[in-house]
Amino acid sequence: MKNISNEVLKKIKDNNIKPKPRWYFVTKNYFIWLIFGISIILGSFAFSMVLFIIKQLDWDIYHYIGEGFLKTIFISLPYLWLIFLILFTGVAYYNFIHTKRGYRLKLISILLMNLVISITLGTGLYFNGFSERLENVFSEKIPYYNRLVYSCEEQWMKPERGLLAGIIIETGLPENNFILMDLDNNRWKIEDGKVIWKGKTAPVIGLKIKLIGTLIDNNNFKAIEIRPWQKGQGKFMMGGESIIFYFPDYFPSKFMDC
Amino acid sequence: MVTSSECINKTDEQIVVLTLKNQDYYLCLMKRYEDKLLNYILKISNLSREDGEDILQEAFIKAYQNLNDFDLNFKFSNWIYSIAHNTTISAFRKKKVRPQTISWENKDLNNLLKSTLDAENTSLQKLTYKHILKIINQLPLKYKDVLILKFVEGKDYQEISDILHKPMGTVGTLINRAKKSLKQELKKEDITLKKL
Repeated sequence: MKNISNEVLKKIKDNNIKPKPRWYFVTKNYFIWLIFGISIILGSFAFSMVLFIIKQLDWDIYHYIGEGFLKTIFISLPYLWLIFLILFTGVAYYNFIHTKRGYRLKLISILLMNLVISITLGTGLYFNGFSERLENVFSEKIPYYNRLVYSCEEQWMKPERGLLAGIIIETGLPENNFILMDLDNNRWKIEDGKVIWKGKTAPVIGLKIKLIGTLIDNNNFKAIEIRPWQKGQGKFMMGGESIIFYFPDYFPSKFMDC
Repeated sequence: MVTSSECINKTDEQIVVLTLKNQDYYLCLMKRYEDKLLNYILKISNLSREDGEDILQEAFIKAYQNLNDFDLNFKFSNWIYSIAHNTTISAFRKKKVRPQTISWENKDLNNLLKSTLDAENTSLQKLTYKHILKIINQLPLKYKDVLILKFVEGKDYQEISDILHKPMGTVGTLINRAKKSLKQELKKEDITLKKL
């Protein structure tokens, strides 16, 4: 039988083996916590985007989309951001179990803890208007981003199914009809018969709106219900004079999206 | 040169601190764990004694290199067992060795069987002894590992959790499954233990 301990000590001395310095382990440990923290923050960004996209869609119009409610949910879920949320939660988990005592917690406890932190922070970011700013940056700077995310534009630009969105460019036509430039820059004559104007809006040039109704032909659309594009936008009646009212000074910017 | 008498009244953790100042103290730590770790390595791996000794050397060198990573709030024994365990697993995977029947001391095997089978005392025929060892060695590593740590090395759940880097709940589940699995295998082979 070998005298292992003496052999090892001899090897350590002969090969001048030294313990790795303390700072190496301290740095490594901080690095693991840093990646964990960054993953949690990125996960919260992803959750704030999930919340933002879910909140901005109109969920009461699923029957116009022609699908059941569950199928509408299935079509509309922000998968891209959900994948990012899962990915960052996974990275956070991986780093957490590599911290000194991370292995002591069960997988489910760590995942729940990561998700709770990401959801809490993400909700805060959403109410802070951060997710809208992030959405704008992604829409403008990331090619094909809009194709990856189911947006209000996509939801409302289905004239054949009775959904249309655009900006009023001309008013004062007979029978309260007006002209709308849709989001794909097509002109539409909107028949405004017994339409319900939701959100105290009224036809004003420059107003961006969403319409529910019936397609008559390629240029004519009969509206049944009209909503302001932005959920926090509306009109006050003051002394018989209508004022289009925007909320940006009073509410966080997220309320201004569709 | 540090003599073993200089380490007698010192805890492992105190010797770690001294080793970082004077590498000769590391000999005391190695001497304390040499036999225990070699037995543990051989039992979980089925490797030959020579291979087991090589793994132990590698584990001791790894532990020395990572000595500054040892947290004095933990038990050194768990830490060194954990390193031995990881070194064995990686060597075991690399070598893909054919299982050998490593002989166990009777008391170790008896401890394991007593706890697993809830038997008071057992005496084994020579033939049965070999047979049982074969069955134990054929258990999945994760089961064999926890059974050895719990019933041969005498570690508690927290210690096993620190060695295997698994939550305590998982350790408990593994031990129960391992006991069940061993009982089933013994039953399948129709091995009955004569009570003393």
